[in-house]
Order: sequence, then C-alpha cells, then structure tokens
Amino acid sequence: MMNVWKYLRSWEGFLCLVLILTISVNAVNSDAFLSIDNQINLFTLSIEKVIIALIMAFIIINAEIDLSVASMMGLAACALGWLVDAGASMPTALATCLLIGMLGGLFNGFWVTFMNLPSLVVTLAMLIGFRGLARVLVEDRSIRVFPSWFEELGQQPILGPLPLAVIIFFLLLILAVVVLRFTGFGRYVYVIGINKEMARYSGINVNAVKLILFTLAGLISALAGILFAARLGSVRGDMGLGFELDIITMVLLGGVSIFGGSGSIYGVILSILIVLYLRNGMSLSNITGHLQTGVIGLLLISSAMVPNLKTYWESLQASRSK
Amino acid sequence: MTQALKEVSLELFPGEIHALVGENGAGKSTLIKILTGIQQPDDGEMIFSGNGVQLSSSQEAQALGIAAIYQEPMVFPDLDVAENIFISHRTRGIWVQWKKMYEDAHKILSDLGMILDVRAPASGLTLASQQAVEIAKAISLNVKVLIMDEPTASLSNHEVEQLFKVARKLKQENVAVLFISHRLDEVFEIADRITVLRDGEHISTRSVEEFSREQLIREMVGREVDQFYATRQKKNYGKRVLSVKNLSKEAVFSGIEFDLHEGEVLGFAGLVGSRRTDVGLALFGIQPNDSGVIELDGQNVSIRSPQAAQNLGIAYMTEDRRKLGLAMPLSITSNITLPALKRYLGRLGLIQTESEKSTAEEFKNRLQIKTPNLSHEVGKLSGGNQQKVMFSKWLNTQPKVFILDEPTRGIDVGAKAEVHNMIRELADQGMAILCISSDLPEVLAMSDRVLVMREGRQMGILDGPQATQESIMSLAMGELQETA
Repeated sequence: MMNVWKYLRSWEGFLCLVLILTISVNAVNSDAFLSIDNQINLFTLSIEKVIIALIMAFIIINAEIDLSVASMMGLAACALGWLVDAGASMPTALATCLLIGMLGGLFNGFWVTFMNLPSLVVTLAMLIGFRGLARVLVEDRSIRVFPSWFEELGQQPILGPLPLAVIIFFLLLILAVVVLRFTGFGRYVYVIGINKEMARYSGINVNAVKLILFTLAGLISALAGILFAARLGSVRGDMGLGFELDIITMVLLGGVSIFGGSGSIYGVILSILIVLYLRNGMSLSNITGHLQTGVIGLLLISSAMVPNLKTYWESLQASRSK
Repeated sequence: MTQALKEVSLELFPGEIHALVGENGAGKSTLIKILTGIQQPDDGEMIFSGNGVQLSSSQEAQALGIAAIYQEPMVFPDLDVAENIFISHRTRGIWVQWKKMYEDAHKILSDLGMILDVRAPASGLTLASQQAVEIAKAISLNVKVLIMDEPTASLSNHEVEQLFKVARKLKQENVAVLFISHRLDEVFEIADRITVLRDGEHISTRSVEEFSREQLIREMVGREVDQFYATRQKKNYGKRVLSVKNLSKEAVFSGIEFDLHEGEVLGFAGLVGSRRTDVGLALFGIQPNDSGVIELDGQNVSIRSPQAAQNLGIAYMTEDRRKLGLAMPLSITSNITLPALKRYLGRLGLIQTESEKSTAEEFKNRLQIKTPNLSHEVGKLSGGNQQKVMFSKWLNTQPKVFILDEPTRGIDVGAKAEVHNMIRELADQGMAILCISSDLPEVLAMSDRVLVMREGRQMGILDGPQATQESIMSLAMGELQETA
C-alpha cells in the first residue's frame, strides 16, 4: 500500500494517472478510439517522431541536446528521392542515406566533443544546415519515384496488423531499455549526464560515449526519414519541419531532466502515449490542430512545474506538522 | 528520523570570538542554519539583545544583524566589488549612487585593512578576497553576529593570517564572531571560548585556556584517539615503481624529478598555488605533461589520458570530492565499481549486478563504510563515508601507484585517523603512494619522504628525519635547501 502511494507521487505515477484519464475520456467520447485500427493508425502517423524520441532520451540524459534530428530526417528522405531519381538502385540509395545520417551525427559529435562547443549551438546550426541541403537537393519539387514495393512497405501491415515502422519501433524500444538500464554503456550515459568532469576523472572516455550517441542520433534520424518517405510515397524539402520540438517535448514530459543524469525510457513511453492519445482524442472530438498543440504545451509546462509544486507542498506540510 | 540537534545551548557575547567545533555530523551546520533563519527549530528559543526572536527567513536574520560567510563565498562574479558589497541594500532610492557606493566600499575595506580595487569584477578575486567582500557586505549591513563557517579551509597560510586580523578587528568593534573550523591550531590561535558539539548534543563550553589539545579532541570524538598523527613506522621499501625525470608542463610546472618505490609514501607538500595537484593530474593523464620522462616499472610510458593512466595501474583520488570525485545521486555500489566497470560486464555488455554488489559489500566491510545499505545515494552520506567510498572506487582498480590529493579534506577527526591507518596499511601491502596534502602534520606523519614544491618548481626532497614542519615550510616559502 505504501509503495502504491509512493509510486503515485513519483513523476511516472503522475504520468500513469494522466494516461489513464486520457484513455478513459477518449474511450467515453468516441467508440472508435479503442479499436485496433485506430490504435495502429495513431501510432503510425507519428511513428518517425516516436522512434527518434528514443535516442533523444539518451542524448538528453547525457546532458546534451540534438536539435538537428528532424532536419536530418528531411535530408535523408530527400537524398533518397534525389538518388533514386538520378538512377541509383534502391539498396545503394538506402545505404547512402543511412551513411549520410551517421556522418551528419558524427559531425555534430565532433564539434561537441573535440571542439568543446555546446550541443545546443552546434545542432541548431545543423538544424539549418541539414535542412538547407535537403532543399538544395529537391528544390520546390515533390519527388515521387519510389518503386511500389517500397511504398507498400511503408503503408501496408507486414506482421499481423503491424506495419514495418511500428515493428522497428518496438525492436528499438526493447534495445533502448536494455542498453540504458542494464549495460555498462547505459551506466556511462547516466554518469556523464550527472557530471561530465567527474566521469572523466573516473577514467571514462567521455568523448567516445558522446560521439557514439550523436552518431546514433544521426543514423536513427536517417532511418526515420526513410520510413517517412516510404509512408508518404514521395519526398519534399520541408519533410519533418519542426518535428524536433515534438520529440523533445515527449522526452522532457517523460521525466527526463533537461540538465541530464536522470530519467527513464519507461517515463518517455508513458509521455509518448499521452501525447499521441491526447492528440488523437482531440482530433476525434474535432478540436483543431493548433489548439491541440496548445494543450501539449500546457502539459509540458506543468511537467516542469509539478516537481516544484511537490517540494513546496512537502515543505508546507513539514512546517505544519511541527 | 535522526535528530540533528538535541537541546543545544549557545551564548555569544559582543566582542568575543567563539569557536564551534565537532566532527562532521555533530550538528554544526544545522545550528548555523537555525541561527541564520534558513531552518527553524522544533523547540527552544533564541534571544537576541535581550529580546526573544523567531527567525522565519534569512532576511529576518540579516535585518537583525546576523550574517554568515562560508568556505566558498557567494559573490556575483560579473558584478564589481562595490556592487557585491551593497547588493542587499534596497533603501537608497531609485537611482544607484555610484560615487558614494564606491567611496563607502573603499572605506569599509580599508577599515578592514584590505586593499582591493572596488571597481574590479568579483570574478577575478582570490577566494580570500571574495571572503573579504562578504565580510564587508556583512559590515555594511551593520553586522552584530558574524558566523564564519570553515572560512579557512581553502586559504593559504598568509591568507588565513589576513582573515584572522579582520576577525580580531571585528572583535574590537564588539561584533560577536562564531568561528567554525576543523583545524585545531587555528581554533587555539583565534578563539576566546570554545563550544564542542557531538552527535547533535552540547558537550562543553569553556574558555580556550581551560582546554588542552588532547582534551578538546577527546571531547569532540568522545573516545581516546591514541594514534592521532602517529608517525609512520619506517620500513624498507621495495623496488622502484615510478620514476619521473624533468617532468614539465608549459606555464604550470617544470623540473619535477622523483622516484617512488613499492611500499613507499611520498608526501607532496607546498602552499596553495604550488601546483602539486597539477603534477598529480599530469601523472593521471588529465593534463598531460609536455616534456620530461615518466618510467613505470622501468618502461618509458606516455600518459595522454586518464584511461591510459588507469591501464598502467595509476589511480588518482581527487581533492574535490563533490565536483570531481563522486556521482552524488548514484548508489554507493555504482560509484565503487565505476572506474573498473569493464570488469563487471558480461555477454553483450550487460552489467553483472551480483558481482558488483559483492565488490561493494567487500569494501563496505574492509573500510567500514557506515550506511544503511549499499544502494544508498552517495550524496546522502557524511563526508568521511564519502571519502571511504572514493577510496574504495580507486582501490577497486587495483592500482600500483595511488595518487592521493588531500585525502582527509573536509572530514572529521575520527574519520581522519581511519584514513591515515588505511594509507599506512596500503603502503605496508606494497602499494606505491603519492600523497598530496596541505596539512603539514599529516604530511609528516604519513610520508617516508617529502617533496616540497613552490610555484611549479620542485624545491627539494626531504628524507625521513630531515623533514620537519620548519624545514618543509622554509622550502615552501622559497628558501633554498642547503643540503641536497
């Protein structure tokens, strides 16, 4: 009993309550909400963001940030379209896109580690840089050149009702949980996030860990870009524009500290579900997209506020009980 | 829940310097927090100038004239000296009277015998000057009770003298000064009366003449510390492990030369700014040297990163436990296994928690770390226990050469004796130890030989009987050694 109460007062407990509330309200408001079709559909519509949120959690726990993920997504998608359009075979084009992602991420990591620049600045520059490259590649066109098997892969279920992207997400999810919680690398990610200098003084290769994380962020963003291209069947220069904010919102709302060193994938999953269900529920109730964004923003502010309110409340109780 | 303070009484008179001593965890910090209104007592009363007062915030304490300065002063680095001094004044109208402010600031400081440029930004000041600014700030607020919480912990001897002058000046002006320090020499030098706290209880308050050193320590720890600063049993040490020749780093240190043997403790003495820590950091690869030779077991080695140092069997235990030593929010276990984590990884890089736990358990017993359990947050342990966790963390890497930087900084007398015993034991087991310490009696007690540095230069190595407080100080102050 004591543990249940303690859990409910933790951030994850709070998220769980919000989630249950959201599901209940949605289920009452719309019969369609709980149907498997709707569930898979709402997941599929945001699957690229959700995939990137996983690696973003690692980066923020490591006390860094990567603002360039959505631009990298756009760049990879556009590069794919451009390459296929220019006559490259699909396997070559796909491999090249993933390579672009890795190199882009490595580039971010290089400036952050060896040049000791703040990741906020470096990745902000690359948010512009990658997006610029994407636009140079496809200009104002919408390129629609993909073979039908590629589009089907993005749109049709391949395992039961699940499309490829959702399956990839679940695989990455399991991997993320295992790596962060149970491996030495995961421990390093937390320790560096808590105190980078202290980690260095403990003989941890801080730069290597950060380089790996940024490279993975680039790679996974490129993968998400490819999945996005497959789902839409065409590419444009503004693909994924502004997605980084949704992604970071999901991670922070999940209880990952913006200062690094704490948070869990479990919390991030809860917050992803809340964000998706809220949006879906509001869409089913005909609430406009702008208002939806406002509600999510409010939730994020409350995520920053609730821990403070909690401490305030506790200190108030402590002084009363005297 | 444990009680931090139990029915403690303390009287302060105008014009007295009152020392408050006790081991870590004795309740000194809590008492200070209550006096300055940061925490509120559950029971008891506070009487100020004959009137009962209840402080519910630090502003109220400040309004009464109760101020505190700490080991690490809290100045605003981008504001200038005068602005820092007058930061809390709000009753001077809308406009800042710059001229008057600079004049007043200058006057307060020169009254204290401090010469500081009042227009210089506070960020460029030494720690000692920053403390002076804080004291000036207190004076500008018409201070009646000044609490100095371990103000000397990071100061050089000269700066301590300067601080004591200021304290005596305040005493003459009828300020009550409450002085907290772990350094007993200082307490005996400056205090009129001494109050001893232990485990949250008031043990005694007497004038300084009525205390002997031994008695004070006895009352602080509540037991006889028989081996306090006992000298190291001189013994034959083994083969040469580390040999350093003409080690230099541009603009930091140069010409460092020494040999270190199995089972030997080489003390590193010197004043603040003598760059002893920098030599340690070079040997650990944090700030690699740019010339000179390092030989380990007769092999020429180059140490360019902490990982390289660790692979060679060199460990460095930092002086700054909080910022560089421990991951405060993590468990004791995770901290202990951190540098050697690779040893605990099984297939696929998974951490083997059982073997992690057994290592932590082993060190907990060996070093007598006092904690309810090993998943306890390190940040919540006392200073002495944190120090033991830091020791464990590095001993677990099984180093050949162990560099200790201020191994007893900020820990209480009892824990200090334990740390000293531990260092001796390690040396007896054949570890080569390099011990950097600003505590002269400690250096003398621990070391077989003492290397003295001054401003980045090696002034000499004193062997056994040659090493005395006087000989070390004269080298550290810049007088050359007559006999090499």
